[in-house]
Amino acid sequence: MPLTHRINRRALLGAAAMPLLLSLPRSAQAAPDGAAVLADWYRLVLELVRHTATYSPPVASRSFAYLGITLHEALVGGPGGLVSLAGQVQGLTPPPAAPKGLDAAFVLQGAFTTAVPALFSRTGPTGQRAMAAMAAQQDKVLSGGADAATEAASRAHGAAIAAHILAWAETDGGAEIENMGFPMEAAKDKLPSQWVPTSKVAVQQAPLLPYWGTVRTFVLASGADCGLPPPPDYSEEPGSAFYNEAKEVYDTSRSLTDEQKLIARFWSDDPMLSSTPPGHWISIVLEIFARDATPVDRQAEVLALLGIAVADAFIACWDAKFRYDLVRPLTYIRRVIDPKWEPLLNTPPFPEYPSGHSTQSGAAAGVLTALFGEGFAFEDGAHADDGLPVRPFTSFAEAANEAAISRLYGGIHFRAAIEQGLAQGACIAAKVAQLKTREA
Amino acid sequence: MRSLIALILLAAPALAQEPLAPKYLEETATAGLSTAYMGDWQYMVGGGAAVFDCDGDGAQDLFLSGGEAPSGLYRNLSEKGGPLRFEKRDSGLEIDAVTGAWPLDVNGDGNVDLAVLRVGANKLMRGLGDCRFDDASADWNFDGGDAWSTAFAARWEPGADWPTLAVGNYIDRKEEAFPWGSCTPNWLHMPAESGGFAPPEELLPSFCALSILFSDWAGQGFSDLRVSNDREYYKGGQEQLWHIKRHEDPRLYTEAEGWKRLRIWGMGIASRDLDADGDTELFLTSMADNKLQSLVPPPEGKPVAPVYEDQAFARGVTAHRPYTGGDLHPSTAWHAQFEDVNNDGLADLFVAKGNVSSMPDFAMKDPNNLLVQKADGKFAEMGDIAGVASMGNARGGALADFNRDGLMDLVVVNRWEPAQIWRNVTAGAGGFLQLALADEGDNRNAIGAWIEVEADGHRQRREITVGGGHGGGQLGWTHFGLGAATLAKVRVIWPDGAAGDWMELAPGFYRVTRAGAEAQP
Repeated sequence: MPLTHRINRRALLGAAAMPLLLSLPRSAQAAPDGAAVLADWYRLVLELVRHTATYSPPVASRSFAYLGITLHEALVGGPGGLVSLAGQVQGLTPPPAAPKGLDAAFVLQGAFTTAVPALFSRTGPTGQRAMAAMAAQQDKVLSGGADAATEAASRAHGAAIAAHILAWAETDGGAEIENMGFPMEAAKDKLPSQWVPTSKVAVQQAPLLPYWGTVRTFVLASGADCGLPPPPDYSEEPGSAFYNEAKEVYDTSRSLTDEQKLIARFWSDDPMLSSTPPGHWISIVLEIFARDATPVDRQAEVLALLGIAVADAFIACWDAKFRYDLVRPLTYIRRVIDPKWEPLLNTPPFPEYPSGHSTQSGAAAGVLTALFGEGFAFEDGAHADDGLPVRPFTSFAEAANEAAISRLYGGIHFRAAIEQGLAQGACIAAKVAQLKTREA
Repeated sequence: MRSLIALILLAAPALAQEPLAPKYLEETATAGLSTAYMGDWQYMVGGGAAVFDCDGDGAQDLFLSGGEAPSGLYRNLSEKGGPLRFEKRDSGLEIDAVTGAWPLDVNGDGNVDLAVLRVGANKLMRGLGDCRFDDASADWNFDGGDAWSTAFAARWEPGADWPTLAVGNYIDRKEEAFPWGSCTPNWLHMPAESGGFAPPEELLPSFCALSILFSDWAGQGFSDLRVSNDREYYKGGQEQLWHIKRHEDPRLYTEAEGWKRLRIWGMGIASRDLDADGDTELFLTSMADNKLQSLVPPPEGKPVAPVYEDQAFARGVTAHRPYTGGDLHPSTAWHAQFEDVNNDGLADLFVAKGNVSSMPDFAMKDPNNLLVQKADGKFAEMGDIAGVASMGNARGGALADFNRDGLMDLVVVNRWEPAQIWRNVTAGAGGFLQLALADEGDNRNAIGAWIEVEADGHRQRREITVGGGHGGGQLGWTHFGLGAATLAKVRVIWPDGAAGDWMELAPGFYRVTRAGAEAQP
């Protein structure tokens, strides 16, 4: 199908002015060309995140950012009026300009077939096989959709953009993950207030990715940007603020309703057992895209901004986590309140404050609200395959608040980590929302 | 399971603190084994060894899975106490697409049969004697199906003429782009009233089982089916324990019954009552971590429940990273087996290791483990000291006494390269008992029995099972180390619960029936 035809169809939908990130009206129109390519590849990416051993949540957020930016940049110069993020996000130089007359679907296929195998080069044999199968399957579907010259030029441009983004990504300090992100040696002589291992898994005796707060950010000045006040002073004294927070976690865990248990598990988003917390938000927008037949340029724009938001959220969150190095509820409650206490969820192997899911959910909700508007309702079936029910939400903020409080229900975070995490996420979202993604 | 402290006090009061280091001599080059586990994606799992006596000479013979290449049966020609020697036999077992095999006497005729799992139709191969086999699947109404089968277990229901067979199945092999979440149903082959097997029942939900085991896990006199599942491929899955009773629908143990969700890359099960308290500890192999599950005693007055404590970290068997060879990436564990390799009366642990394929975040040089139990209940890695720290890409294996000297030798099945074999030459090892149970009726090998041994105040208990491991199992001799004891008390709790008389036996080989024990040459 000629690209010009697609331009006209998409033009009917209109493009939101991005500096303000106004929401687009929902459309019942069929998904434009290229959307199917994007949907299928992202479905695979969510599986690869789940099944690649190095893909802890921070690592996953990084890949979502670079992949989203790849798609956005690949469609710059196309009919949607997207503009490059080069010069707006740290270290991104102008990517190759788009020749005229490209086919968006082949551009995306070129981008995906270059970016995904590179980002998931370390996945296992099944993932490698799946990537090859996906490339072949999409090639088959796209076959005959453009003349040979257009197809070749489109694929080449997508691949060139992906290569440009991948080269940029290599320099951010987060590209190499050793030992699944766990240092080989654990720190000793920790204070009672400080994090200590909570797991009997041997590799988790040192905290996950202690350097992640120094990874290059996208829109934040550094990981210390959007910094947080310290958590309540550590105390084992009953009646102290810290003790009260722990007691709240303990008491809540002993009186959980079925709904609270479901919420805890719904947002658990464990690495290697799910697409991780940032993948959960990617899943949410993919469902929205499918429901609303969102134009593909809009999808790329959303995925880029959402990816940037969650990636910077994890960097900032990790900066704070290792700055404050706070003990987990499991350790404190067993030491001070009840030595036999068992939380509902497995405690993640890194410091407590702030809550990573809260920070990144706050950031995601903030950006998506800027993109889609307040009171944007959606349904979240991220874990339907795992047998958990679809949950409806009346807004992104409602979902983020639920994700955040789920960590208290699960017994893995104190309230301060949740509330301050959401606040940190909101701060990050506000900065991401300043990016210019479309022509005025 | 009692606490680790109790284990130290009760199970091994008089044993030396530092265990005798076992010593092995590799005889791969001269033993006559040539089978390698071959094949690509559909053979990334499986690849086991089956150990059994196929010609009635008392020596353990060996079947090696070949994957997409033909499998091989090797007759044991080793002289007593001598080098390990095998002869490949034309046996009828030169089958392709084999992922694993478990020996058992299906039809109770005294010849050991072989359950052969495949990518494709599984087969029940009937032992004809003299290490010859034919396919009896049709004769026994065994529907081998068409799946990627990876796990096997069997038991005899009380009063049943034929065994109950369980088959664990893996991914839908036709799914290329989205194999995740495509776990295919496990099967339960129950005995038919008219003999042979009824059509298989689907054991749902199924979550890509790589090891399954019928075991009397709590010493209650009946077995349940433990299933270890590979979390890489299931959605909404977890480890499983099934109630399986004849004439009743199978049902899972629930959280209300104490079952607690565990999600691992479950690949192999080794079971052993490490502290001789009547219930079994389970070693579950996985990636970057392994579990040693020990049953938590129920509160006073409460019934036993499947509540486990993971003791792997405390007892030094996480085996999560290579201990030699310089590769510090996390390990990938497959077959596991408890046996006493230095005959000191304490069960040791072998773990086969090997990268799934070429996963760069996991060790490519991943030595097999030989974890030797100490008197305090913890284990010490001695694979390198013992000489078995192979860097081959291992899958299955077996500790077995191939040369009948009372020391447990070792064979390991490797992916893409021939199996390796080592002779146990440990000097100064303790005495031993090797017992072969022979029961009345159709369950001739007394599957489901327990053997109890006491020597020098130290008690051991072993359950006779068919299943578990990764890709293979054993039938025949059951080994006990005796340390310095010159006499041991032995009794058998037979599958019907009847307790045999205590017998006093000197170290050596014995055939044990309900009438007593008969020394074997």
